[in-house]
Amino acid sequence: MKELRDLATKLLAEGTVNVVLGWEEGPRGVRPAFATDAAAAGRLVFDPRCTQNLVPYLSPRRTQVKKLGKAAVVVKGCDARAVAGLVRETQLAREDVVVIGVRCGGVIADPASPEPLSPATVADRCPGCNSREPKLADHTVGELPAAPPGESRRDVRIADLEARTADERWAFWQDELGRCVRCHACREACPMCFCERCVADKTQPQWVDSSPHPRGAFAWNVTRALHLAGRCVDCGECERACPVDIPLGLLNLKLARVASERFGYTATDDPAVPSPVGSFQKDDAQEFIL
Amino acid sequence: MARIGVFVCHCGENIGRTVDCARVAGEIGKLPGVVHSVDYKYMCSDPGQALIKQAIAEKGLTGVVVSACSPHMHERTFRRAAGGAGLNPFLCEMANIREHCSWIHEDREAATDKAIDLARVIVEKVKRNVPLETIRIPVEKRALVIGGGIAGIQAALDLADGGAEVVLVEKEPSIGGHMSQLSETFPTLDCSQCILTPRMVEVYQHPRIRLMAYCEVDAVEGYIGNFKVTIRQKARSVDETKCNGCGACQKACVVKNVPSEFDERLGKRTAIYVPFPQAVPNIPVIDREHCAYFKGRARGMKKDACGKCKEACARGAIDFAQEDRFVTEKVGAIVVATGYELYSIGKDQPAAGLKGYGEYGYGTVPDVIDGLQFERLASASGPTAGKLLRPSDGKVPKKIVFLQCVGSRDPAKGIDYCSKVCCMYVAKHTMLYRHKVHDGEATVFYMDVRAAGKGYDEFTRRAVEEDGAVYVRGRVSRVYRDGDVVKVLGFDTLNGTPVEIDADMVVLATAMRPRKGIEKLAQTLSVSYDRHGFINEAHPKLRPVETNTAGVFVAGACQAPRDIPDSVAMASAAAAKVLGLFSNEMLEREPTVARVDAALCAGCFHCERVCPYGAVEHKEVRDRKGNLLKVVADVNPGVCQGCGTCQATCPSKSVELMGFTDEQIYAEVNALAL
Ligand SMILES: Cc1cc2nc3c(=O)[nH]c(=O)nc-3n(C[C@H](O)[C@H](O)[C@H](O)COP(=O)(O)OP(=O)(O)OC[C@H]3O[C@@H](n4cnc5c(N)ncnc54)[C@H](O)[C@@H]3O)c2cc1C
Ligand code: SF4
Ligand code: SF4
Ligand code: SF4
Repeated sequence: MKELRDLATKLLAEGTVNVVLGWEEGPRGVRPAFATDAAAAGRLVFDPRCTQNLVPYLSPRRTQVKKLGKAAVVVKGCDARAVAGLVRETQLAREDVVVIGVRCGGVIADPASPEPLSPATVADRCPGCNSREPKLADHTVGELPAAPPGESRRDVRIADLEARTADERWAFWQDELGRCVRCHACREACPMCFCERCVADKTQPQWVDSSPHPRGAFAWNVTRALHLAGRCVDCGECERACPVDIPLGLLNLKLARVASERFGYTATDDPAVPSPVGSFQKDDAQEFIL
Repeated sequence: MARIGVFVCHCGENIGRTVDCARVAGEIGKLPGVVHSVDYKYMCSDPGQALIKQAIAEKGLTGVVVSACSPHMHERTFRRAAGGAGLNPFLCEMANIREHCSWIHEDREAATDKAIDLARVIVEKVKRNVPLETIRIPVEKRALVIGGGIAGIQAALDLADGGAEVVLVEKEPSIGGHMSQLSETFPTLDCSQCILTPRMVEVYQHPRIRLMAYCEVDAVEGYIGNFKVTIRQKARSVDETKCNGCGACQKACVVKNVPSEFDERLGKRTAIYVPFPQAVPNIPVIDREHCAYFKGRARGMKKDACGKCKEACARGAIDFAQEDRFVTEKVGAIVVATGYELYSIGKDQPAAGLKGYGEYGYGTVPDVIDGLQFERLASASGPTAGKLLRPSDGKVPKKIVFLQCVGSRDPAKGIDYCSKVCCMYVAKHTMLYRHKVHDGEATVFYMDVRAAGKGYDEFTRRAVEEDGAVYVRGRVSRVYRDGDVVKVLGFDTLNGTPVEIDADMVVLATAMRPRKGIEKLAQTLSVSYDRHGFINEAHPKLRPVETNTAGVFVAGACQAPRDIPDSVAMASAAAAKVLGLFSNEMLEREPTVARVDAALCAGCFHCERVCPYGAVEHKEVRDRKGNLLKVVADVNPGVCQGCGTCQATCPSKSVELMGFTDEQIYAEVNALAL
């Protein structure tokens, strides 16, 4: 903790950055912090409650942080993939941000909960994580803690869904997506949803029905999932933001696996790896082209 | 409010037989916004077009739909007619009720219903069409010719004589290509250099040709009419502006045993050299790999190991410190004429599919040579001053065996095509041989003799009838050195007997292949090539010297094996094409190109990555004070081919193809579905 605070203070003091994005203690667990001076830097924390991905604040669509000047951002391994995603898709110049990596032993699903990290409270994406130490970082702080507790619940759920018939899966998603209220919180929380004008907001023509009935909800969620296929960095923010608890992570993870199996692309924190959209290899599967 | 006119064509019986055109016109006439709907026997005929023009004038149409054949056939016709009546041509569209309907259906009722649907869809589209303006782009009236063989020389001269400025880039120190290595040429047996060198000099002296020898094309940007080419001038180590070609440096050079490329390694040259006496330009280069000075440097020697040429040069032209330089040239068209090389008879093959000839000794038998080596031995300017002497011991060969189709027409060795010129030059070789060695015996192993061409068959017959060449139909299974002779074991397939010959020398007519590195050049130019590396023409019959990239043309043996007459004809054809292009002040392009909405574009540049034509560029968006707000995609309408890939890829649908916008397509789909 001291290492993190000292580094933030130093970066601010020497004028390398104008603001450090991190986490601090809030009234309900930790909350995002935008430290612009030594006092604020001294309040930064990192522990398993720092579930939130702060990288969406760096997307050019959100100008609040940009107004403060050059930023440093504290990232976990999963968040670093979002930085790489923005760099890869020309939303952020790598030299415009200082990346402070923290070594991570898993976070809890609900950062407001007072429960400690345990197999029951751990966030879905953490068990089995292989990027607990961000490679894309200018500074890396902390000791590497023990691996996240528990086992992946998502593997079991995806296997369960895969075992069902198409009709059963259809019914499952009708039920899940049918709850969507079209608040678009998932989009706002997503680091990779950086479009100026989302296709769902396009009116001429209106590709995506805007009303919150099942057809519109389906069109929206399927469009979003497809636009994120292989681009999703698996930070879990959409699912955490959803007020009606739709398991968006399952949809994204399934598509990420398809992108990996079919096109050999896995979300990584190396911005030099080309985006799966717009790149191709000669041996890409293409039997779907008639 | 839209005022659409619909014109349903019978196409004689072609449509009328299966589709009730009157019913189509009647039904479509009832659609909202359609104010005029008629059918007629031949819409594309003069009276048919007059119907359209008249309706536009009288009814004040805002859009026209012609329900007829494929737009590939007559879209231009009808758009021109609409334009003639004062309507923007892009407000006129065709519904294809022939190829897509009458020709593929039999049931008249159902076909008529479908024709109504097809026309209705296009009516809905046309309602949303907007006027588009033809794109005009200026033409840079200079041409780049890549390769200074006979093809490149001819193209450059024809272009320059036609009034165009030409930049001729040749990678070797001199132009001339393979033709400069030949002794005499079929089918007339005139001396190759005698007919070539005047052209080389003409290139050099032509006021409109900029000759850039010892240069290579590094990068190409832009598009037809507006290419920007980066050319690398390789370091000659000799200052071109000072050198007067006196040759003192070459006499002084201490390294005298470098195998000469020009003499196909049968002769020697110095480290500072011009490839041959008539070289153009007559300016030497230092071969840094063999030069004692540079070798010393490479070994890290403190003291300069040599410098004799520098001492010898009275004009101070030797410049050891020279480095590669880069120049950019703007040109409107490019002619590729990089020629060929021969299938290697050695063990090392440049591509995996090529196998080489272990059975002929992999080039290890000194008296087994290839065709170009024979040319050098027969040439007056060659290493033996035109005396036919075999490489191993310098004796006059009394028996030469020529093997045709070595590498060619032999899929097992990696090449299935015919190299086209070998039958002819082997016949030539047998004649040259007999003219020099009167009692020499020439035996040719052949698969068949392909001598199609003016005077060609007569030529090969002359070899047999007048110069006594013996042609044996069959293949040779083995060639090996046996003491003083080269043993040739073959099979005469006409007699059905094995043949064994003790030859003094064997000449392999090896296949013609495209130049090493052609793939990279083709990729730089975005032109396609076949699996052997030969540049693809746009159409094998109708567009033989164009490539699939507009503004890039091809001539000579880089397109396929070609002899000199073919290469020259192609070069002149390419030059004519370029001059035709240059006769326009502006190039006209269809305005169906992509356009980015800068206000909405998020600058992810997925469109740039997917665009097959490199049409997407970056554009800065600034506020009034000049502060950079964002960088967005911008489509260069001169390069865009209107394929629509960007439109399909853009996640936020911020780029649209003019004439095929989402709104238009959506309206079409809705017209069908609702
Ligand atoms: C043994 C033999 C005998 C022949 N005899 C005859 C004959 O008697 N009569 C006849 O009609 N034909 C004959 N031919 C065929 C003749 O050689 C060709 O038709 C002719 O040379 C083709 O000319 P070209 O300009 O296309 O290619 P080339 O002569 O190969 O010239 C290509 C030029 O381009 C240059 N170049 C290559 N790559 C690049 C690059 N990337 N950048 C810049 N420059 C480049 C090369 O250095 C070369 O100068 C013979 C061929 C052989 C092999
Ligand atoms: S956050 Fe949930 S409810 Fe809101 S739009 Fe996304 S999926 Fe629908
Ligand atoms: S894909 Fe769309 S949003 Fe991305 S740069 Fe191109 S036009 Fe802009
Ligand atoms: S329409 Fe095709 S050619 Fe034109 S910019 Fe888009 S992808 Fe490139």
